[in-house]
Amino acid sequence: MISQNTNRRPQRPLPPQLQATLLYLGLILGAIVVLFPFFWMLTTALKQPGQAYSLDLLPAEPTLDNFGRILRDYGFARYFMNSIIVATSAAFLATLFAALAAYAFAKKDFLLKNQLFLFLLASLMIPGMMYMVPQFAIISRLGLMNTRTAMVLPHLANVFGLFLMKQFMETIPGSLIDSSRIDGASELQVFRSIIVPLSLPIIATLFLLTFQFHWGNFLWQLIVTNKESLYTVPVGLAMFRDAHEELVTLKMAGAAISIIPIGVLFFFTQRLFIEGMTRGAVKG
Amino acid sequence: MTKTVRDNLVAYAFLAPFLAVFLTFLFYPIFYSLYLSFHRVTDLYDVFGKMRFVGLDNFVQLIHDGQLWWSLLMTLYYAALVIPLGIAVSLALALLLNNRLPFRSLFRSAYFMPYVLDMFVVGVVWVLIYSPHFGVLNRLLLLFDIDVFLEKGFLGHPLSAMPAVAVANVLKSSGFGMVLYLAAMANISPSLYEAAAMDGADGWQRFRAITFPLLKPVTLFMVIIGVIAALNAFAEIYAMTEGGPNVEVRGRALGATWVTGYYLFRTFYVSLKLGYAAAISYVLLILTLIISVVNMRLFRTERA
Repeated sequence: MISQNTNRRPQRPLPPQLQATLLYLGLILGAIVVLFPFFWMLTTALKQPGQAYSLDLLPAEPTLDNFGRILRDYGFARYFMNSIIVATSAAFLATLFAALAAYAFAKKDFLLKNQLFLFLLASLMIPGMMYMVPQFAIISRLGLMNTRTAMVLPHLANVFGLFLMKQFMETIPGSLIDSSRIDGASELQVFRSIIVPLSLPIIATLFLLTFQFHWGNFLWQLIVTNKESLYTVPVGLAMFRDAHEELVTLKMAGAAISIIPIGVLFFFTQRLFIEGMTRGAVKG
Repeated sequence: MTKTVRDNLVAYAFLAPFLAVFLTFLFYPIFYSLYLSFHRVTDLYDVFGKMRFVGLDNFVQLIHDGQLWWSLLMTLYYAALVIPLGIAVSLALALLLNNRLPFRSLFRSAYFMPYVLDMFVVGVVWVLIYSPHFGVLNRLLLLFDIDVFLEKGFLGHPLSAMPAVAVANVLKSSGFGMVLYLAAMANISPSLYEAAAMDGADGWQRFRAITFPLLKPVTLFMVIIGVIAALNAFAEIYAMTEGGPNVEVRGRALGATWVTGYYLFRTFYVSLKLGYAAAISYVLLILTLIISVVNMRLFRTERA
């Protein structure tokens, strides 16, 4: 294809400065388009309620009242705590379960090991929506409706996390484990004093990814609770939106309360996030 | 106890918490769902106590269910909008970033950041942007004398509703595809571009003849996960349109954004038809498995 075009006169390349300027213009335009919704959310959340639809890029009389009101008068302080509790405990347990299982897969021999691993991996092909009805029915029959346990429990077996951890732990030298065993360490001691410290980067990654997943696990949290005291931030926002369509500035403050923690978390740990989220895809 | 028995016990002890959750909530549900799909709820106050066995009734009903077929059509439409647009935006961002520039990583983070946020909440923000009369997008378009969407807003107009949802989704999630494309671009040998430059190929020709063909595996992957994501689409619809606005098709009112994932949610959560919803879940499962198999075939021929 290239050779067909050799008769065309090669174009003179643009001067490097102009090229760089054009690239930066493109990059900035891209950033404006991608980030505009979040900018607009924040700026609206800082406007006076009467100014909700003003086109001012920055609020004429900025106020934090919207945040105060939605946190205090509309229960978002409690929803925020609920989200923290649910996401933290789920992230802790899911990471722990995945680490324990990954250790077995990476460093131990046992009956049906490879078959079991393939069987677990096969479940990754099943679409998430498929689980809504049966998981709801199981939780309901276990009498767990309207509990935090219900929000967390079904998602504690993270197969993708297990896969990430197994790959990582396979790089830990077996000699470290053997010598620790010779020193008389028990199975759990080996796990605690060797495997966990050496796997901290992947543990941190999986903790962050599961925390992020549970922070935004809106659909499931919505269907297993109808008790206001258990609402998480997105569920609270859904209910608030239905009840108070007109309170736009408050709604945007509520959305900001849901988005900012993950945004900040991402800002400080972006490398872990980006690598963790794309690793499964890249190897495929 | 022999050594191997003990080793097996220890290994399974480490696996136990994970396996217990997996079997209860990820494996058993596949069969439980099938069981539910053969039943019908008869008493909303005693959902499980008074379920009636109806055999294949739910599946027979599915075949004649206009809402389901329409939802599959809308899912296809949604996928046809999101996938090409998502690929184009991801690729454009990756091409912009595929240069050694100061602040490169800052821009990369800025583009990726929306991907980690909750689709439902992002959707709520877009409702404000798309809103009728006073919405910022409508006011912007008024500067160019475009007032088609002024009355109903972008989400209330049957023609613009689905594209509007698709744009919101694409702008939120293209950071993911961008990172995949960037990783693949980093693996393209610079000597290919040098050879092309010597042949006198300009930027567009180099892109067409070298970059794009070598990125084909990523593009294919984006298509596959795009179809699966469309089959699972729910949060963006729930946040922005709730399946509407209605359009009249052969005398029936049907939702312009009535995708299958949302229809499943409504059947289950609003109508409380557990058995019928389980049957719809099976349609989603089967479609997803077909796509996965096609995907594996494609990748295999790709490598052969």
